[in-house]
Amino acid sequence: MQEATAPSSTTPKFQPKKQKRNSELKKRLWRNKWLYVMLLPGVLYFIIFKYLPMYGLVISFQDYKPYQGITGSEWVGMEHFKRLFAEPEFFNILKNTLILFGLNLFIYFPVPIILALMLNELRGHFFKRLFQTLVYLPHFMSWVIIVSITYVMVTMDGGIINELLVYFGFNKINFLLSPGWFRPMYILQVIWREAGWGTIIYLASIAAIDPGLYEAARMDGAGRLRQVWHITLPAIRGVIITLFILKIGHVLDLGFEHVYLLLNSMNREVAEIIDTYVYTAGLRQGQYSYSTAIGFFKSVIGLIMVMLVNRISKKMGEEGVY
Amino acid sequence: MKKRSFTILLTALLTFSVMLAGCSGGNNSNKATGDPAPTQTAKAEDKTPAAEEPTAITIMLPLNTSETPPDTIKKEIEKLTNTKLTYQFFPADSYEEKLNTAFATGSLPQVTYLKNQSTFVQMKEAIKDGQFWEIGPYLSEYPNLNKLKPEILNNTKVEGKPYSLYIGRPLARQGMIYRKDWADKLGLKAPANVDELFAMAKAFTEQDPDGNGQKDTTGIADRNELVYGAFKTVSSWFGTPNTWGTKDGQLQPEFTFPQYIDTMDFFKELRSGGYMNQDFAATSKTDAVNMFTSGKAGMYIGGSMQDIDSLNKDLIKNFPDAVLDTHSMVAGPDGKFAQWMIPGYNNLVLFPKSAVKDEAELKKILAFFDKMMTPELANMMFWGIEGTHYTVVEGKAKVGDNKELIEREVKPFKDSVIGESETNGMYESYNTLPGRIHAEELLKENVKVGVPDPTAALDSATYTEKGVELQQLITDATYKYMYGQIDKAAFEKAVEDWKSRGGSKIIEEYNAAAAK
Repeated sequence: MQEATAPSSTTPKFQPKKQKRNSELKKRLWRNKWLYVMLLPGVLYFIIFKYLPMYGLVISFQDYKPYQGITGSEWVGMEHFKRLFAEPEFFNILKNTLILFGLNLFIYFPVPIILALMLNELRGHFFKRLFQTLVYLPHFMSWVIIVSITYVMVTMDGGIINELLVYFGFNKINFLLSPGWFRPMYILQVIWREAGWGTIIYLASIAAIDPGLYEAARMDGAGRLRQVWHITLPAIRGVIITLFILKIGHVLDLGFEHVYLLLNSMNREVAEIIDTYVYTAGLRQGQYSYSTAIGFFKSVIGLIMVMLVNRISKKMGEEGVY
Repeated sequence: MKKRSFTILLTALLTFSVMLAGCSGGNNSNKATGDPAPTQTAKAEDKTPAAEEPTAITIMLPLNTSETPPDTIKKEIEKLTNTKLTYQFFPADSYEEKLNTAFATGSLPQVTYLKNQSTFVQMKEAIKDGQFWEIGPYLSEYPNLNKLKPEILNNTKVEGKPYSLYIGRPLARQGMIYRKDWADKLGLKAPANVDELFAMAKAFTEQDPDGNGQKDTTGIADRNELVYGAFKTVSSWFGTPNTWGTKDGQLQPEFTFPQYIDTMDFFKELRSGGYMNQDFAATSKTDAVNMFTSGKAGMYIGGSMQDIDSLNKDLIKNFPDAVLDTHSMVAGPDGKFAQWMIPGYNNLVLFPKSAVKDEAELKKILAFFDKMMTPELANMMFWGIEGTHYTVVEGKAKVGDNKELIEREVKPFKDSVIGESETNGMYESYNTLPGRIHAEELLKENVKVGVPDPTAALDSATYTEKGVELQQLITDATYKYMYGQIDKAAFEKAVEDWKSRGGSKIIEEYNAAAAK
């Protein structure tokens, strides 16, 4: 190591500042060369699979015909974006997307935290393990399964929930086809499937808290809730904020498969989101350029949101993600 | 120091190799599970000792079963045709997507099966652009391909030229399958007109046809499909034209006709009365079929009447005494019969120029399909291996008892047979179930009162571009009307919306094309 770095350390002192900085950079690079080598696969991955494919975005400004290729297709500029914004349903779709996103953020997001706190308070080792496994389980079921189970439970033609409603003297509720029930069903299914899995990171960071803090609090006479409020929560605050920002990065990834499975003619006005629209208009009908334009638009919104929240969290004195 | 840098190097190398191993491992498992195609590649290097080198052909087609089939049938076919076949099966549910992406990336294989008529409409633009081989000039060189019915080939022409081979289907297979045992018990005859159809649905709901003392049955089990569910079939009984009809000497879409509204009213009443499943707009085909085969509903409308075999198989598992029958002659309010017809094919095969490099290659592939249209090979594809999958009784094919084996080994190939039994000489099916024999008679009756889609061979650029998207407006409005959420005025507003967002142009273009 030393032999390798030796030549650069002999650089004369009277060199101009810039050159000096350069050589220092070189020195640093050389010193940590193995770290960079280890970094290389990751960098290559991002370049090859994330950055190079962005070249394809140009087709959103073209009237792309597969047989003419990217180089041969006609350039139409902002035409597809104009069409998107002129689409009468566009704002409705955007609204639906943002509402579902809001539900994800404000209703789903706190659930794993609460669940993790509750799991943490469980004392019996056996029960803790059992509950943890039980709440993880739905994560491994695909959306098709979750949605089918829901269908069987809530259908008006003999579904258990509607049968119960009738039994207790209420009217049947058309869960599957009413626009009003789409959003509650959506978010309940998200919680059902993902909440347990989401607790993992929180549980891990709770486990890292120094037990001495709790002991001291107990000495001071703090009850269980006080301990949670004054020790556990502040200790995992950083994790919560990081996850919150990352979550926003996935702003508009609301689970295409999930929404598409719930979507039907009767609830389309609230259930059509950008992803499902891209699928029907783009992939099924082969409007490549148009669907790329929509996807592009969606990514831009996502990027803006992340930058916004990152800035806010830094203003509030927290660490951002970058 | 030296030692340490060596350790670091070793660590780095190790990390690298672990990552590489991880990557390649991932790839392998992907291939094994995700993409069935590569595992299908023919391993038969020198199986045929024939003098001529076997022709390698890659075929992409939709898969209507849950698993890709084993090589049993494929090997037989390779032997008989001196080819080396690679079948790329993709699930039918998402086949459009696969087709579009393969097309966009220029990776369509030599033989490309489409999915249905609407995928064909989508491809028209590319066909016009010369992306696929025109096969018209060659057909006459092949005696078997030359037998393909010209009237159906006509429906597949683009700008007057044929580009594709077709997979034939009876023109009108749809009708209703119903519980004859229930009808007999309640003293009902097969409905002769739409009023009797309504009465039957009502009776099946209210008069306890299964005799268990509970009101737990309903009339019709329908699903979330206007065309392949009950709606379109009933609408044609009502006298609605098939997709497009002529009004005041002009082609107009079906939903501008009063009969379409009548059909919606019919379903609205059925639903609000509880004479059909309440959630039909969210019910999948599987769920609708389950309702029927679990004895909860008495009528299954809109599907192929030939499906009675499989429905019967599942139903008698639950109710050994159940009897099914088929029916399709239901008169409209004006006393006339009508059945909508498909254009005679349910799928087409195209030959992309990007994969089929020259005329010689195309001729080899066409020669393969010519052989496939001989009775021997058509039977092999459609019925399987004689003795294993079927037996011949009275000159017809009787399907073997091991339904699972047939489903796994034969069904995936069945839907790719070019032509129909009149042209490729394959066996007709030997039926034992009375309802199925009845269905075959009804199929012939259906055609006598069949209504074709007048736009089947016509072309509209706007339809190609946004037809599917626009149709969504009408589909949604139709369901909402049937559920009583919107009234006639609102439905008509949806039609106006359809027109203003491109529908008027579609009407114009179809009329212009028809005038030619």
